[in-house]
Amino acid sequence: MADVAAIDPAKAAAALELLRAVDSAGPRAAVVGLTQMEGGWSRHTYAIDVEDPEREGLARYIGRVRPEDSVLDTDLGQEFEIYRVLEAEPVPAPRVHGYEPSADTPFGGPYFLMERLPGDGLNVWRRPDRELLEADWADGRGIATDFVDGMAAIHAVAPKKLAGVVVARDFRATVGRWREMYEEVRLVADPVVEEAYAWLLDNEPAPVEPRLVHGDYRIGNCLVGGGRLTGVLDWELASIGDPRFDLGYMALPYSSGRFVTAGSPLLGAVAERDWLEQRYEAASGLPVDRSVVDLYAALGALMLFSIMGTGLALYARGESSDIRSAWSRFVFPGLRADLAQLMGW
Amino acid sequence: MFNALRTEQLIAGIGTTARSAAGASGPPDEYARGQLLSAYSVSRLLAAEVSAEAALLAWLRGELIDALAAAPEDPAAVAAATRIEAAGDALEIGDALVDLLAELRAREAEERVRSSPRIARQSANAPELRTRIHAILREMAGRELAALAVRPERSAAS
Repeated sequence: MADVAAIDPAKAAAALELLRAVDSAGPRAAVVGLTQMEGGWSRHTYAIDVEDPEREGLARYIGRVRPEDSVLDTDLGQEFEIYRVLEAEPVPAPRVHGYEPSADTPFGGPYFLMERLPGDGLNVWRRPDRELLEADWADGRGIATDFVDGMAAIHAVAPKKLAGVVVARDFRATVGRWREMYEEVRLVADPVVEEAYAWLLDNEPAPVEPRLVHGDYRIGNCLVGGGRLTGVLDWELASIGDPRFDLGYMALPYSSGRFVTAGSPLLGAVAERDWLEQRYEAASGLPVDRSVVDLYAALGALMLFSIMGTGLALYARGESSDIRSAWSRFVFPGLRADLAQLMGW
Repeated sequence: MFNALRTEQLIAGIGTTARSAAGASGPPDEYARGQLLSAYSVSRLLAAEVSAEAALLAWLRGELIDALAAAPEDPAAVAAATRIEAAGDALEIGDALVDLLAELRAREAEERVRSSPRIARQSANAPELRTRIHAILREMAGRELAALAVRPERSAAS
């Protein structure tokens, strides 16, 4: 249990008020733990534990907050609604418990609460977590299997269920979205990025039937416990579009833990590429064209340039004090190397 | 090389994080601990970058000027070479490359559409030069990664 003395009373009261509003907590419920977790670039995340004499056991929640200095302009309410839709789908995702849209909250922005699923988030930039995944691949492949099947399940969600919830974007619209953000926030001109955008538009793939796209699907945005995948999180980049984006983004060396040195030898840090693609094809019924996947990998890298570039711009203007935004500057050389490789330079 | 945030901004950021940690009461939560670890990581990477910066910049400038010298009749290449020779840092080189590559792309696109003999003559070197610059940029990314991977304590000991 967390140190009760460290609990921010205003945040605790706000969380309880929201839980009571949706009948997820009674009048005598109390917050017994509330700490800010490490992760979250566009969202701040809180672990919130609640004891309620009228309910059995400790209730564990996650608070998702859109801070004022978010690196993404995506709507938190949209993310909340996606989770609600997913409750009826075979996608492992937490149940949500109320959304507060006001920007003026003790959490510093709009927030919603969701159940805290069992399992831990993995950080593929840390060797022990990569080794855990390599051990899974070598023996059992429970995480690898769930990871691929989870992606196939996401791509199987009928887009009409998300009509009005998430935006639909085709290839050009997706390229345009990230390019517009890049041009808006860039602090320096980057010849590799400029060439990559031109290359993408010169190689536009033939469209496929639009699907639900997670938009940030990597093992680091999943929960893992007991050798299985227990949840898929971080849906703020979801859209209706080309499902091959998720495959491409996952194929980036960045998603396997590459920083200034190599990451995992496994694709996405979870599985060998041939196996992963074959399993995905079998689970989804969708063919994998590696040349198109590579295009989307490049687009994924450009998306990271835009998102991290936003963090850098906020930091440079003094609108964010999150040192991770400054740190992300050192991700760019690796992304340039990825782009050069993907474009066949 | 074409990186936002100057060295002094990063040093100031590390200091701000340290001061914030020193002023906090109670044990740090996960977020605060992550901030400190990120500040440490920035300090280590910055030290590696500063150690390698001058050599990497000289290499990049030299490679680009050599490549551009192969197109002495191309006004865009000549202009870019002039800017790159005069550039005070990698960001100015990046600016010159963005403009040059945009010009080369435009010429190639125009040539594809119109197949005009006049444009074809003017852009004869464009694909070759663009390819050469791509190779230099690829090599630059690899060299920068290798430089950042050097741990400063090892670099200082050698």
